[in-house]
Amino acid sequence: MLLLRGFLLLTGFFLLGESIAFVFDWPVSGGVVGMILMTLFLMLRGRVSEDLGMASQSLIAFLTMLIMPGVVGIYFLGEELAGQWLAIAGSLVIGTLLSVLTTLWLMARFMPRADREPTHD
Amino acid sequence: MTELVQRWQALPAHLLDTPLPAIAITLLAFMLGTRMFRLLKQPSWCPPVLIASAVVALLLWGLDIEFSRYREGAAWLMLLLGPATVALGVPLFQQFHHIRALWRPVLLTLPPAAMLAAGYAAGLAWALGASREVIASLAPKSVTAPIALGIIDQTGGSASVLMGGLLATGVATTLAVSLFAPRLGIHDERVLGFVLGINGHAIGTVRAFEISPTAGAFASLGMGLTGIFTALFLPLAWHLIAGQ
Repeated sequence: MLLLRGFLLLTGFFLLGESIAFVFDWPVSGGVVGMILMTLFLMLRGRVSEDLGMASQSLIAFLTMLIMPGVVGIYFLGEELAGQWLAIAGSLVIGTLLSVLTTLWLMARFMPRADREPTHD
Repeated sequence: MTELVQRWQALPAHLLDTPLPAIAITLLAFMLGTRMFRLLKQPSWCPPVLIASAVVALLLWGLDIEFSRYREGAAWLMLLLGPATVALGVPLFQQFHHIRALWRPVLLTLPPAAMLAAGYAAGLAWALGASREVIASLAPKSVTAPIALGIIDQTGGSASVLMGGLLATGVATTLAVSLFAPRLGIHDERVLGFVLGINGHAIGTVRAFEISPTAGAFASLGMGLTGIFTALFLPLAWHLIAGQ
């Protein structure tokens, strides 16, 4: 029952987020609006109830499984991409390496000085 | 007897009228993928989703099920992606004190990082001669799947190319972070988590939760902010640069 109640709350926030995104015609998914609303709601409430904690933990554990069906599509891509594989691979691999490097550098640069030591908590 | 044979032959089509075979295949592949991932000692270059999706592809091929059929059924499972995205708000709240302490680097890093993630991908694809559709599909490669699918609706990309791009990006991100961070002397798990989330969306976030809950919270934050920011700027930039 706890799990179901938590799941109901998550679904409710998703529906609320989806409604807001739809009504205001935002190009943002309902899930993200719901996530922000959930964070704000928890900040107002000050704590995570047992049901919500349980449901969110189990869903987050299965996040990988939920994106998997979309990923399978890459094994069934047709020949329409012939001749573009180099461009695709180059863009993805080099682009990601570059953007990770830049982000690491930016974030490390903007970190407060006192915080630049490694932390383990 | 012949009637029984006929019924037997009609069985696959009958079962495939429901989404349950697709769901069973997905669950089975996920469990096998996770187990193999542990057996391989959790390699960062090969996340469970890569193994599991290969298992799905093999099962579909072995059972002679069309991919489009599978996707229809698995869409029932992917519906949970909405509530699961909302669920990320919980670790975000639980780790909020860490995030509040670092609001400045977070807000300064995010816009250039998200714009560069899309810019590098689109620029390189263009320079290497990719078609317009492929460039549109690759530009939101660092954005979490549900938002990225909404973005390509507006820029005219292909969902399959996008999903492939998301997977490759997620894998490349976990790889690049474990490769570059130690060399740059960055060990702060808040930085690592945030970088994983900005660049590697859900796959990077899963990796960050393997590091620690704090890294996971920063990754959720990075993923959410990148998604929102890119959803706002990319369609606009696309229309400005590519026209129509």
